[in-house]
Amino acid sequence: MTENMTTIYNSIIEGAKDETLVSVQQALDAGLDPGKVLNEGMISAMKEVGRLFEEGEFFVPEMLIAARAMQAGLGILRPLLVDSGIEPVGKVVIGTVKGDLHDIGKNLVAMMMEGAGFEVIDLGTDVSPEQFVEAAKAHQPDIIGMSALLTTTMPSMEATIKALQEAGVRKSIKVLVGGAPVTDAFADKIKADGFSPDASRAANLAKSLLT
Amino acid sequence: MNSRERVRLALEHREPDRIPLDLGAGFQTGMHVSMVYALRQALELDDPGTPIKVIEPYQMLGEIKIDLLDALGADLVGVNPPKTMFGYKNEGWKPWTTFDGTPVLVSEYFNTQVDQNGDLLAYPEGDKSVPPSGRMPQGGFYFDSIIRQEPIDDVNLSVADNLEEFGLISDEDLAFFGREVDRLYIETDRAIYANFGGTAIGDIALVPAPWLKHPKGIRDIEEWYISTLTRRNYVYQIFEQQTEISLQNLAKIFEVVGNKVQIVFLTGTDFGAQDRAFMSPKTYRDLYKPFHKAINDWVHENTTWKTFMHSDGAILSLIPDIIEAGFDILNPIQWTAKDMELKLLKERFGDQLVFWGGSVDSQGTFPFGTPEQVRAEVLQSIRDLAPGGGYIFNSIHNIQPGTPIENLLAFYETIQEHRQYPIVT
Repeated sequence: MTENMTTIYNSIIEGAKDETLVSVQQALDAGLDPGKVLNEGMISAMKEVGRLFEEGEFFVPEMLIAARAMQAGLGILRPLLVDSGIEPVGKVVIGTVKGDLHDIGKNLVAMMMEGAGFEVIDLGTDVSPEQFVEAAKAHQPDIIGMSALLTTTMPSMEATIKALQEAGVRKSIKVLVGGAPVTDAFADKIKADGFSPDASRAANLAKSLLT
Repeated sequence: MNSRERVRLALEHREPDRIPLDLGAGFQTGMHVSMVYALRQALELDDPGTPIKVIEPYQMLGEIKIDLLDALGADLVGVNPPKTMFGYKNEGWKPWTTFDGTPVLVSEYFNTQVDQNGDLLAYPEGDKSVPPSGRMPQGGFYFDSIIRQEPIDDVNLSVADNLEEFGLISDEDLAFFGREVDRLYIETDRAIYANFGGTAIGDIALVPAPWLKHPKGIRDIEEWYISTLTRRNYVYQIFEQQTEISLQNLAKIFEVVGNKVQIVFLTGTDFGAQDRAFMSPKTYRDLYKPFHKAINDWVHENTTWKTFMHSDGAILSLIPDIIEAGFDILNPIQWTAKDMELKLLKERFGDQLVFWGGSVDSQGTFPFGTPEQVRAEVLQSIRDLAPGGGYIFNSIHNIQPGTPIENLLAFYETIQEHRQYPIVT
């Protein structure tokens, strides 16, 4: 890894947003390939952040600041990636389901997905089945991710999956679910394609479903 | 043996005549207003259509009246702050209906507005001339805070901005606590659980301050979590000053309520997610524990109150420090979270901590399970937690809307049948 790339990698893991911005810019100014900056600097750093979280070294705040640093760097990089014709590894539509306004977990998943190289379309909170269907048609994502914190809003996940079926778009999309009360058994019951207990594993799961 | 005596023995880690039962003493041990209505109807305590008072509008908790405590054999009564999460008093009741059609009574200051999505907006102090601070989605059951975060200017960030809500207690509020505690002490023989407010440092539910009209400082939830790392000194100073203020207030409150109070709620800050704590033991030790210890020490040196801590989630890694910080009681014991096995917790910490809750899985069994499953989980909690005392029976957090009434009845029937000591299940 070059010196520039090491700085990008380290500043993301440390959650140092300003340093990330500077080091990404320097790497680009030095003529490094944007795809390489993304893969070797940023995606590998977020992979390490995920590993540290899974091993209990990092907690939610550490993960949040790392993800924010990553997003700042991505802000500079994104137009260049588009110009160079570098495609994301996949497309994800994500949202918190109808009746539910909780978004910390959903935001973390979105950021970890971005950090794994996905294009993420975030529909926000209180997203109805109809809105998920519309987004599925408009964006043709590989994956839809749904989040719920409340037991009272979990049924909306099942309603959304049914709505996707009825709209004829379910087969081409993998549906992932998560949130505090959501379990593997619940995911099976409502015929989702996967469940993840945390943001790091959600990103890994998303990647594994596409290969 | 009366309720007060029963609770006292349990708190001293001794076996009373039967397991003490709590319903609604605190705002984490109560019941959503829709469920209070359903339960009172099922127990034939009210005529159909009789409205229930909403005593806490943010979580939409229903009033647990003495006749319901009597019907269920519950042993505790609660004293809570004179103002709600939206900063107004519960007075001048007016009728209202929840999205699920439950007839309720709300404070005359419960002023709301329906927005273009059909969501219900609530206002600090019920004042509709300022931006709303709470939102209940259309068809929803509770409010969530609307985040009102002014741009953060780190250079000019002042600790005082995050301390607006923590001041010295007013004479009016002091008189309220004195009056309420006296009333409950004389009118009932139940143990008194008191939440005087102000002692919970860093409670994420309180950070957005839905009762303030123009909150300043750090009020965004994500920004707050980040600040515990990136602005550690700022957060530490908030906690330090908040603790100083709360110690002065506790001393004043003790003068008017004395030892008639048996349990004091100190914090509801959640330290656990489903599968891990929100922070490392080191962060807890550096940032929270010194202040938890200062407050617990004051209580133990000056009163006979037992101190109550509420934290959801997987907090096993923090429990040794929580004990060292001086807490007497831990609630709600979310045994479905990682490593929170009741039996192991009781074996390891049962001589130092009173467990309060720990019964039916509120995220799974209560809303989606059968009465038989509810029954089995009640028996399990009794078997694991009740022997030797040190146990107060309660749901895991408030009973949520959508709980089938058969499950709720099975819950109370099972504890009634099996609460006698010595424990036989």
